[in-house]
Amino acid sequence: MEFIKKQSAGFYLTALTVILAIVGLIFYMINCNTAYFSNLGVNAAVVACIVIAVILELVFIIGSETLGAKIYLDILPIVSAVMLMVAFVIFISVRVNNIATILSFERNAQTLADLSSAIIGMGFCFGAAVFSIIASFFKIIKD
Amino acid sequence: MNEKKEKRRKSKRFLWRGLTTTTASLLAFSLTASVVIDSFRTDIDKFLGTRSTQTVTDTTEDAGDLYSFQTDYENTTQLLDAIEDLGERMNEEGTVLLKNNGALPLSDDETKKVTLLGFSSYYPVQGGDFGSSLAENKGTDADTVDLVEAFTAKGYEFNPTVKSMYESLKEEFKSESVLPWGVTTYYRTTAPSVTGTFTSLEPTQELLDQTEPSWEDTMDDYQVMIVTIARAAGENANYMPGEEGVNPDQDLGQTDPLGLSDTELDTIEAAIRAKEKNNGKVIVLLNNASAMEIDELKNNDGVDAILEIGLPGGYGFYGVADVLSGAANPSGHLADTYAVVGANSPAAQNYGNYEWTNPDPSYFINSVLVEAEGIYTGYKYYETRYADTVLGTGNAADGIGSTDGVSWSYNQEVSYPFGYGLSYTTFSQTLDEINVDLKTKTITAEVTVTNTGDVAGKDVVQLYVSLPYTEYDKEHLVEKSAIQLLDYEKTKELAPGESTTITVTADAQNMASWDSTRDNAAGTKGNYILDDGRYYFTIGNGSHEAVNNVLAAQGKTMEDGMTGEGIVENVQTWDLDSFDDTTFSHTENGTAVENQLEDADLNYYMPDTVTYLSRNDWKGTWPKTYKDLTANDEMLAVLRNDLVEIKEQGDPSSIAFGSDHDLTLASLKGVEDIEDERWSLLIDQITLEEAMIRVAFGGTSTKPIESIVSPEAVQNDGPNGINSYPLGQYANKDTESDDPCAVDENDKNLDYKFGTMSNETVIAQTFSKEMAAEYGKVIGNYSLWSNLPIFWGAGTNLHRVPYNARNHEYYSEDPVLTAYQATAYIAAGKEYGCIIAPKHFAFNDTEINRSGLAAFMNEQKARENELRGTQATIEQAQALGVMTTFNRIGLTAGNAHTGLLVNILRQEWGFKGLQSQDFIQDANYSVLKEAVTNGVTMTCNTGDNNMEAVSAKWDYWTVENVSKDANMLQALKNAMLWQNYALANSNAMDGINETTRIVSVNTWYDNTLTAVQVVFAVLTIGAAAMYIKGAVKRKED
Repeated sequence: MEFIKKQSAGFYLTALTVILAIVGLIFYMINCNTAYFSNLGVNAAVVACIVIAVILELVFIIGSETLGAKIYLDILPIVSAVMLMVAFVIFISVRVNNIATILSFERNAQTLADLSSAIIGMGFCFGAAVFSIIASFFKIIKD
Repeated sequence: MNEKKEKRRKSKRFLWRGLTTTTASLLAFSLTASVVIDSFRTDIDKFLGTRSTQTVTDTTEDAGDLYSFQTDYENTTQLLDAIEDLGERMNEEGTVLLKNNGALPLSDDETKKVTLLGFSSYYPVQGGDFGSSLAENKGTDADTVDLVEAFTAKGYEFNPTVKSMYESLKEEFKSESVLPWGVTTYYRTTAPSVTGTFTSLEPTQELLDQTEPSWEDTMDDYQVMIVTIARAAGENANYMPGEEGVNPDQDLGQTDPLGLSDTELDTIEAAIRAKEKNNGKVIVLLNNASAMEIDELKNNDGVDAILEIGLPGGYGFYGVADVLSGAANPSGHLADTYAVVGANSPAAQNYGNYEWTNPDPSYFINSVLVEAEGIYTGYKYYETRYADTVLGTGNAADGIGSTDGVSWSYNQEVSYPFGYGLSYTTFSQTLDEINVDLKTKTITAEVTVTNTGDVAGKDVVQLYVSLPYTEYDKEHLVEKSAIQLLDYEKTKELAPGESTTITVTADAQNMASWDSTRDNAAGTKGNYILDDGRYYFTIGNGSHEAVNNVLAAQGKTMEDGMTGEGIVENVQTWDLDSFDDTTFSHTENGTAVENQLEDADLNYYMPDTVTYLSRNDWKGTWPKTYKDLTANDEMLAVLRNDLVEIKEQGDPSSIAFGSDHDLTLASLKGVEDIEDERWSLLIDQITLEEAMIRVAFGGTSTKPIESIVSPEAVQNDGPNGINSYPLGQYANKDTESDDPCAVDENDKNLDYKFGTMSNETVIAQTFSKEMAAEYGKVIGNYSLWSNLPIFWGAGTNLHRVPYNARNHEYYSEDPVLTAYQATAYIAAGKEYGCIIAPKHFAFNDTEINRSGLAAFMNEQKARENELRGTQATIEQAQALGVMTTFNRIGLTAGNAHTGLLVNILRQEWGFKGLQSQDFIQDANYSVLKEAVTNGVTMTCNTGDNNMEAVSAKWDYWTVENVSKDANMLQALKNAMLWQNYALANSNAMDGINETTRIVSVNTWYDNTLTAVQVVFAVLTIGAAAMYIKGAVKRKED
């Protein structure tokens, strides 16, 4: 209870960012293994960016909790947000042609199901990037 | 105080941190986006109308040959006027009068007393839902019109009460179509999706009564009741045969989506009731591209007239209005058979979604279509079966495939035959002479046509042949249609009493039959044959009249079951004394023919699986439905599209790339001889990387090739007009240039979009090669003005069944009508340097799972039906472009079938032009190495202009791999030759001479993005600086 009382908005927003990013990554991996999108393979840049972003956000939270709002920790949410934004753009860009094909010529239950994981994954990834930006305006722990 | 100050400082710290994060993220976004933009630059340029490369030409040095092709028009107003005029005339000549008890034409007075019934009168179908959609134009010199607007302009006046009633119900007529960019709402009927069913939107009588209780009474003052019944069309759409294709939530007595619903019939009955009260007229307009089931209307005496108007585009309703009023005399003839029950045809037994039991979406292995009907599609089935019922052969009268299930009879199965059409006058035709000359491979017919009626009009001479069906044929499974179209010509307008003699010179190959078992000049199997025996040549108003003439000449009468007496005098015979397998053993360019499509027959992989329909035994060979098929390992290996191995072979050093011969493509502008040695030298200049990138990324436009100054040539989709971009998007707006097609920036027509022509079925229904050529002429001119040289604009797939909702983009069920309309059109467009390409080569017979669908058929069907519909466009019109198909040929992807794409298209027919596959595909289906090996000059993918981008999509496509493989290198050289040969002979070269150079330019969006990046970089630095400044100050404090 004491722990909860100590937390500021930044904590919740950053934690939400981490959750959104992890879910986005999970859906990305699911999508990479769907029949339709499996040919694209797993893009290491997307995975690396999300994983790095998640790690940085976690380090930021833990660091802030244990060391306080140290200035040198402030670089972490900035880099994390950049990573998430890059992951989001790459995630979308390599799928644009496939999405167009499905919507134009391959609209059936199978491809739409495969497409849904891509759309969900992109949504979570974008959400993570947005929340990471918002979180960076707030402190993790109360003074 | 210090606490407050500290709090404020902390707030500032988080503010600057947040702002730094925000701007850094947006900077990252914009930097990453610039990489993405390069990947999609081609598509972005098309969307925004920008160009990332330009050609720079020194006109002072070589100005004479800049513009090789000349326009017929002085300005865009004349151009659009020509389109509008042709659109009107296309429907005047392409509208088919199916029934007329004298009600038509209407008098001037009657045109002022029209009640339009049926919601499609107010909300008609003028183009496809997706694919050949109507481009609505306003504020131009050729604004598009719907039925009401066109008729009003022609002086018609409508029942205002009924008009208001329907218009007030507009929301009832809302339907949705799923398009690539989302769901689009139309206020008209739309075609079902490939998984959907047809929903009739025709309002009930109760709803009409509730909306306007007096509506029926008002028809007493507007006694000409015109009822429009529509069926929409669309790419990626489909009508499933039978009740399966009808919305199960509706209970409207509809047994087929192309049949009439109770509400449609009730509307017609309401018109008939009104007619009985007011002594008026009931006229039905069929607004469709897929042949409908309309036997109720044919047999209903209350219906005075029926007109098939097709999908009239933006101006065709002017023509329909003229036909109704008699300002134009109808001269159209059906391009398809109108069956009583479409689902009873043998082709329909295998039309649907038949998935493999072991599908694999990662390789687009989805479903199969076994075309077990063989050659018997459309009238070739109905008329042959009819002939055999009369002849008493082949168990033709058996109940299989019949409407009543008891016995098959023609009148019970066909409402209106292929080629049928009425006029307001009458004509007599006499077949005066036939001359068959196998040396010149021609059949020449002299036909005298006389207008025996009271008004002027045009008539069509349809020349048919009936081939001998011999014991040899039965033994070797060679099928013969009892009647088939050889050629056709339309007369000029004949005054009453006027006669003319029409000479029809038909290609005798159109009566050759493919025999897969016959030895050939190549030393293998498969050859065209002419059986020894008697050949019957005849003419007629449609296939049925023609076959009746033949049967009469064979001594048959109505007592034998004929539906009418034939005209024996209009039959001429020709006897071939001995079996002929040499006349057509070589194509026009001297290539020996042989079986090339054996693997398109499912029996090739699964012996004795398919029984093909034979007139030798209609009952015993009636197609069963082939479904639940399982691909075995051998088949899966083919289905996975990994057929070509890039490996170390041959002598790569013997194949030159990147040579310096100081030539540019302009040096060969207009050089039609592909053997000219300069072609070889020019292509040697292209670097390997350029070639590898160009074949990989050819979507929406060919990419510039700097080493030979090959320009970007923008592609457009059709066939209802060059519709992808507005007229002004790529038009030359430099009026100071020498370009005769330069336009003023303020030209009111620059936003015009040419998706306005009547659909291809209407063009076929004109039975006029001249009208088809006129369309080619306006397309060619438009191509010059719009700078859009490549047009995927001739749909030469056949109407295998009426249920393919994409039939509006194809001409007919008949290959000869298809071939000659397309040939006239392509040849005319070529005169203006426009590359009009036939598509989809070949067998794009359904939209269901069209990417990956395995279409199976025997070679006789393939060659005598669909391929015959394209062959003349290559051999005669010398088309410079072809688009491959989505589907598989048998198990092989449509862009990888060597027999079809190399051996038939390029070798037998001599195709020398560019070839694109259709739209973007997954790399596992859009098999690049297989496509290049088989003569495809560009895929439809787009991407960044570097090898990394290509190799990322196709990992085997690297310089290291390809440079070791002499075969692949040669294939690349061939592709570059064909691609650039086509461009050099097109108007893509307009404005280009030997001084021309290609330069890259920054578009406005490049500049904007750069500015955005700079701004965000500055803001990021600024925010970070403010953050650091605050931190330093805090430390100092």
